[in-house]
Amino acid sequence: MGRKRSKRAVRKVGFWKRWSGLLWKLAIVGLVLFAGLAVYLDAVVQEKFSGKRWAVPAKVFARPLELYAGQKLSRDDFVTELSALGYRSVSAVKQPGQMSVAGSRVDVYTRGFQSFEGSEPAQRISVRFSGQQVTGLSGNGEVVMARIEPLMIGGIYPAHNEDRILIRLDQAPPYLVEALVAVEDREFFQHFGVSPKGIARAAYVNVSAGGVVQGGSTLTQQLVKNFYLNSDRSLIRKGTEAIMAVLLELHYSKEAILEAYLNEVFLGQDGRRAVHGFGLASQYYFAQPLHELELHQVALLVGMVKGPSLFNPRRQPERAKKRRDLVIQMLEEQGVITEEQAGLNIAKPLDVTVRGTMADTSYPAFMDLIKRQLRADYQDEDLTSEGLRIFTSFDPLLQLKAEQAVETAFKRLGDRAGKEMEAAMVVTGAQTGEVLALVGGRNPRFSGFNRALDASRQIGSLIKPAVFLTALEQPQRYSLITPVDDSPITLPAEQGKTWSPQNYSRVSHGLVPLHEALSRSYNQATVRLGVDVGVDKVLQTVERMGVQHNWPAYPAMLLGSGAMTPLQVTDMYQTLASGGFNTPLRAIRNVLTAEGEQLSRYPFKVQQRFDSATIFLMQEGMSRVMAEGTGRSAYNQIPSDIRLAGKTGTTNDLRDSWFAGFSDDLLAVAWLGRDDNGQTRLTGATGALQIWSAFMAEAHPNSLSEVPPGDIGYAWVNRLTGEGSDPSCPDTVQMPFRAGYEPLPGPGCRPLIDTAPVKEGAGRVMDVIRGWLQ
Amino acid sequence: MDSKRIGLLAGCIMVLAGCAGSGGSIPVVDSGRPVSNEDMQSGAGMPAPTQQQTQPQQTDGGVVVLVPDGEGGSSAVESYPLDSAPISSQPSTQTPASSGGLQEDEQLAGPVLALLTSARQQESGGDLSSASASLERALRIAPREPQVLFRLAQVRLEQGDAAQAEQLAQRGLSYASGRPALQASLWGLVADARERQGNSAGAAQARERAKVAL
Repeated sequence: MGRKRSKRAVRKVGFWKRWSGLLWKLAIVGLVLFAGLAVYLDAVVQEKFSGKRWAVPAKVFARPLELYAGQKLSRDDFVTELSALGYRSVSAVKQPGQMSVAGSRVDVYTRGFQSFEGSEPAQRISVRFSGQQVTGLSGNGEVVMARIEPLMIGGIYPAHNEDRILIRLDQAPPYLVEALVAVEDREFFQHFGVSPKGIARAAYVNVSAGGVVQGGSTLTQQLVKNFYLNSDRSLIRKGTEAIMAVLLELHYSKEAILEAYLNEVFLGQDGRRAVHGFGLASQYYFAQPLHELELHQVALLVGMVKGPSLFNPRRQPERAKKRRDLVIQMLEEQGVITEEQAGLNIAKPLDVTVRGTMADTSYPAFMDLIKRQLRADYQDEDLTSEGLRIFTSFDPLLQLKAEQAVETAFKRLGDRAGKEMEAAMVVTGAQTGEVLALVGGRNPRFSGFNRALDASRQIGSLIKPAVFLTALEQPQRYSLITPVDDSPITLPAEQGKTWSPQNYSRVSHGLVPLHEALSRSYNQATVRLGVDVGVDKVLQTVERMGVQHNWPAYPAMLLGSGAMTPLQVTDMYQTLASGGFNTPLRAIRNVLTAEGEQLSRYPFKVQQRFDSATIFLMQEGMSRVMAEGTGRSAYNQIPSDIRLAGKTGTTNDLRDSWFAGFSDDLLAVAWLGRDDNGQTRLTGATGALQIWSAFMAEAHPNSLSEVPPGDIGYAWVNRLTGEGSDPSCPDTVQMPFRAGYEPLPGPGCRPLIDTAPVKEGAGRVMDVIRGWLQ
Repeated sequence: MDSKRIGLLAGCIMVLAGCAGSGGSIPVVDSGRPVSNEDMQSGAGMPAPTQQQTQPQQTDGGVVVLVPDGEGGSSAVESYPLDSAPISSQPSTQTPASSGGLQEDEQLAGPVLALLTSARQQESGGDLSSASASLERALRIAPREPQVLFRLAQVRLEQGDAAQAEQLAQRGLSYASGRPALQASLWGLVADARERQGNSAGAAQARERAKVAL
């Protein structure tokens, strides 16, 4: 036995001798390979974790809402915007993000923010309203002005991309970390990357539940999986994941790993945009900054980690609530919250924002404009990865009104609109040239053909102000009351043809004052005037107004056979609205880097193209369009004491219906037509003007200023003849003229001595004489 | 026994590998401030913003503007934002206790005045970009106020954009009828801007207009 044993031992030793060498070699080779792998993985782990961890798409913001006494803003609009920003209604405001509405007063605790215009502190203020105006602010003492943080209106993503709002761990709301650890990885703060205990427990739970209920992955492993690896489920990948998790824990603190996890985790899909991280999820589901979230909201997000689409609170509200309540119960079981807290929070609704409200809507037309402007100045890669912050002039309240105006007008038009009819609208600040709202089609949520920017259509009578402006620039020849001839005219046209323009009514009006030819949109008078001043001059005027074109100088151009997009029309009318100064339309105010550095400014720029006195006369003429001409139906919706200026546009066979007009503060251009250029059966007045008026009625525009610039003189003239007159005469009106070109006053019509009794006496005498003669 | 050794070795290698990496083992500090709405807030987790520069403060007087005179020197001109010291003699429709009985016109002037004051401070601190932002903000509130246009034109001139300075001053002039002192200042600025652009004849003309206005 002994021998045998020893023999066996010898044999064993021999065996070992023979094999151990090989095994050792194999082990060493394996170790070297393993070491190589580990070193490689380690480099991967560190490189990605220490560099710029995420490509963050640029975020686009609306204008910040300004508050000051005298600001035009109704209480309801204010509350609408605050709600969109996720301010919660409470009975008494105690912390940022809360508001309290009582009668004509709104108390709000603003959140404060930083922008290129300096930082705005978080503060408690009371805003008092009267009708459409803010009448006063008060806070800690008298507050002169305050701003509300701007609404985020979109981002710039490549076709398929992750979007996120980066947060720091210290911005996490109470219970977020506790809940996450409780639900996903209870040993997180104890383990070294992988948790055998966790795996064991998960296995036990899964077996006893008869299915996969709990995963054994630690938060670190989950982070590694999402951050470094693809999602296949092979064992090799599991192994790599475990090694990398351990390496990550070796290098970085639990806090750093947790913070990365909070920013990395996938929490939902928004069309082609993937919602990553708790920062963005908080905005996406609640329209609130993360740190403001309450326990029940935190629990919902944490519950969603397991399956963002399975527990989508908008699509699967019941399932999401069950999951959320389970998370709350787990917190209670672990003693993080009391039973009472759990009960209270389980009773709460999901509180997610409703799709389509201002808090959760898209503005494809405006975003399209922003992207085009940015792409001219930036590389695509910078826009989609550098986390730029883009501040724009977008006004969500005016946008809402513009969209509603389009909707209302379509409703009113009813069957006349038909299915094919489309619309576009541009709203800008009349003095600033900033784009405030943009509607690219009948369905403002549809991101496709952006008619406001790309539908180039004949402008019809919208061209006429350019004709009249060219004339008024010659004060020695033309004033608002110069008679112009509205009678049939035949002109040679291209290729030996002739052209005989007709008035819309097919009636000629003979000699009419210039302002009337404009306000009634008489074609024949306009063509005669245009030919008189020169078609080429008129086309030059169009360019000076801000629109470059390559139109041939045919007379037909005088009636708007040239095409423009709604945005170009806006550019053209902007020059009229802002006193003859061309201001390039702007939508972006500023671009900041992720670090808050100013990358580029888009400063306010002006260039004087026309004399302000001439423009003042044009505005007078165009205000008559509204008061007594083709635009007067606007006053069915807008108070008559608001002075407005505008022009209708209708093209041949009623294919396009245009209206462009402005108040002192707002310029709006509306278009109605069909994409196939078919007939609309609408004129500018029956179509686009209805949209425009509906918008202006809700926007409460400021009355157009009647304060004349220098170089304007007023004179009394006969309304019918245009000759100088006297206030005592009938049919006499006061008219503005270029100073120095006023007509001489006519003789008064009331003699110095009242002659009525004399006449009466004379009449009696005559009767007596007649009596004698008989 | 061997598996133990292997485990030990593996552990050693892991540690070695861990230490061998590029970054050292110090927890990484997230470089670069994150970009977010979060970040725009000064709420939880944010260091309280340093005392804001643009937080407007009500000042009691008008804004003192240094206006270059014809001889190239400068003189202080005291003027009031929003035309003419308050005209309104009618009592404000509502006089909340906190407003201190200010007339409505004065209240309206509040934000513009405050922003002009901020811009003045930013300008004297050499921060022309912020001064410009404040003035553009003021212009959005009072687009027809020539005083704001005048100040913006001044800042543009300092920023080296003489062409825009001239244009902005011209725009100011189009709203300044009936305000001779301001007209003179604006013409003076036009003159400077033209001089800067090498247009001395135009500058001389503008100086003439400045004198006439006064």
